[in-house]
Amino acid sequence: MVVESGVADITSGLIAIGAGFAVGLAGIGAGMAEKDIGAAAVGAITEDSSLFGKAMIFTVLPETIVIFGLVVAVMAMFVL
Amino acid sequence: MSRIVIVGTKTRMEDAINAFYSEKAIHVIDHTTGDDELSIGSPVKGTSKASERLLKVRAMEKELGIKKKTKTADIAVEDVQKRISSGDVESVEDEVLRAVDARNDLTQKITELNSKKKTFETLKKLPLTLDFYSGYRSLAVLVGTTASDAASVKIDDAEIFSSFDKKEGGVVAVFVKAARKAEAVEALNACGFIEMTVPEYTEPVSADEVYQKMESELSEAVEALEAENKALEALKIKYMSFLKGSDEELSIAVEKGSVPLRIAVSKYAYVMDAWVPTKKVDSIKANLEQKLGDDIYVEFQETRGRKLEDSENAEPRFSNVPTKQNNGALVREFEYATSMVDVPRYQEIDPTFLIAIFLPLFFGYMIGDIGYSIPFIIIGAYGLKYAKNKDWRSIGLVLFFGGIWGAIFGLFYYGEMLGMHFVGGEYNAAGVWEWYHESAAHGGTGITWDWILGVTFPEWFYEILPNVAHGEGVGKLEDVGFLLKMSVYIGIVHLLIGQLVGLYNMLIQRGVKFAFIHKGGLIFSFLGMIFLCYALTDFMFNKASLGEGITFVCMILAIVLLVAGVAINTKAEGAMHAIMAIPEFIGQILSYSRLAAIAMSKAGMALAFNYIIFKMIMPSHTVDGLVYLDYSSGIAMVVIAIVMFAFLHLVVWTLGILSAGLHALRLQYVELMMRFFDGGGKRFAPLREKRVKTFFSRKTSTTKEV
Repeated sequence: MVVESGVADITSGLIAIGAGFAVGLAGIGAGMAEKDIGAAAVGAITEDSSLFGKAMIFTVLPETIVIFGLVVAVMAMFVL
Repeated sequence: MSRIVIVGTKTRMEDAINAFYSEKAIHVIDHTTGDDELSIGSPVKGTSKASERLLKVRAMEKELGIKKKTKTADIAVEDVQKRISSGDVESVEDEVLRAVDARNDLTQKITELNSKKKTFETLKKLPLTLDFYSGYRSLAVLVGTTASDAASVKIDDAEIFSSFDKKEGGVVAVFVKAARKAEAVEALNACGFIEMTVPEYTEPVSADEVYQKMESELSEAVEALEAENKALEALKIKYMSFLKGSDEELSIAVEKGSVPLRIAVSKYAYVMDAWVPTKKVDSIKANLEQKLGDDIYVEFQETRGRKLEDSENAEPRFSNVPTKQNNGALVREFEYATSMVDVPRYQEIDPTFLIAIFLPLFFGYMIGDIGYSIPFIIIGAYGLKYAKNKDWRSIGLVLFFGGIWGAIFGLFYYGEMLGMHFVGGEYNAAGVWEWYHESAAHGGTGITWDWILGVTFPEWFYEILPNVAHGEGVGKLEDVGFLLKMSVYIGIVHLLIGQLVGLYNMLIQRGVKFAFIHKGGLIFSFLGMIFLCYALTDFMFNKASLGEGITFVCMILAIVLLVAGVAINTKAEGAMHAIMAIPEFIGQILSYSRLAAIAMSKAGMALAFNYIIFKMIMPSHTVDGLVYLDYSSGIAMVVIAIVMFAFLHLVVWTLGILSAGLHALRLQYVELMMRFFDGGGKRFAPLREKRVKTFFSRKTSTTKEV
């Protein structure tokens, strides 16, 4: 925190909080989406292990959401 | 693939089947009974005997505990065949069954003795000899265990003996007038009475004596069981190799014998349709005719092209052509990764070679650290050399090649080992070494190898590292912008390859026009979107003007390509889909930023651990305002630091396998293969003997096929 002429500059702190939220909330979202798919995928693989590849594709689909969060976070940290 | 039809006389069917097997390239098309007067054949003579024997062998393997993984010596085919035909399977079965029966009897005996022993162990607590419990006319005897103490139970006209122990529970014997039995039972039930039967004795022997006898009997039985188990173990060792060999040999015999069930037969002849690799048609024809002479006739039917139309117009039986994945020795190892999704169709490109290139490359890019890569290479090489299991092999494969890429990226791109750069400073204009501002030497977080080791690397080494912000190589945590940009570029190239392969697939399947409409439009939109994004980012972040220079050109190109792309794509999939496809491209490209993200996350962990070790544990001292590590003072601290260093980096390394491996695989499966891969093919499975445990000794292998 930089203090200049008695006024605290909290910009960088706010940016960090925002970046944290971006990744964190996106992560929660992806997790919620993935949990159901993951459960179903494990069930399917137990039945037929050759489904692993397809199951994995479906399981990791929501992960892209986190990546969006990450990109927003990085942009907040380095571009703003 | 070419389709052939083989016709022959039934009398020599067995020889013919052997000849088919020796070609190892004939994929039988199962016959379906239609209106042609042909039906499916019946198994070759002797097949039922073979399957009966196979069943016996498998049962014995189960009894003896011979598993699939059990290592046994290989055995010659002729040996096995000779022994099977001389009835060895049956004689071995006799021997094994006798031992197994003996063992089972003993096990049963031990169970019985144990339960009896328990009875006498309980009765031991009462002061009565065993003859007291039976032989009465007007008395009823109730003997059993109780949950609580039975001493307080009062029953008229009865004599009660009881004993109670808090841990083991109680025991009670009640001698009551026969008429009052029901009353007594009711009274006893209050303390959790469970009746037991006492064997009848006429002599006054004590329960303890019988108990001792039982115990000695039991120990004898256990000894006998042990001996029997040893005998079984000896049998296992003696017949292991024969059993596994005959399992394999009989399986092959049964499989061969069942071939007639898949082909059409008439009264005197059989007809078999089959797919064979086009290159082998002539040699198969020649070989079969040479072996069977006039008893066989092979006719070439068609060579199936890659056009989908051909297959769609074919008879249903012949529409699905098996896929023979045709990769080199190295790429073939990656076929497992493709098959986890699906077998490629006959009409499409096998994506294995792309996976073989990009999977290790991305893995290495994300690891990007020579310190972590060397163990990967070693473990991967070890796995490739010794592992037989497909899963382990594919993991070893990715670790080995990924490790090599990781080492290359680690050395020449990131300039890193165990999360630390090699170089932490540079020579200034006057030729004097200066540490970077954030270097640990100045008390910062930039811990580098030259600072740790107290050396200066030669200048040529310093010069091969890429220079982004400093000369030390690409910093995973310092040059995030650069890494993200690189990931996006890698993504664009990777996706474009995927789109182009898709275009090529369409081209060979449906022709130029169809391919252009269905994939060309997508590629135009994809390129248009890339140019648009480039122009927009330039405009937004670099404050470039949209109306001039390269930004302007990109903008114009983007608009032209997007309009053309959407227009063409509308024709193929409708306006809605064509427009929806555009934002999807952004998602696909941004998905590659995981390359940077995984690299960053591991670098972040490594940074924290290195900070703990080198700044908090290792002793240091300051000279002329510069911090140096102090190895000589406090050897204990140095040892703790080394142990923690090893442990903490092992954590990062292990996590690296999971995250980098899975994400590299995902990029292939989702981002790349979804652009072009349909799957749903049928694997080319020619008739061939699968021998692992049995082998032909040289003498017969040349004569066997004639």
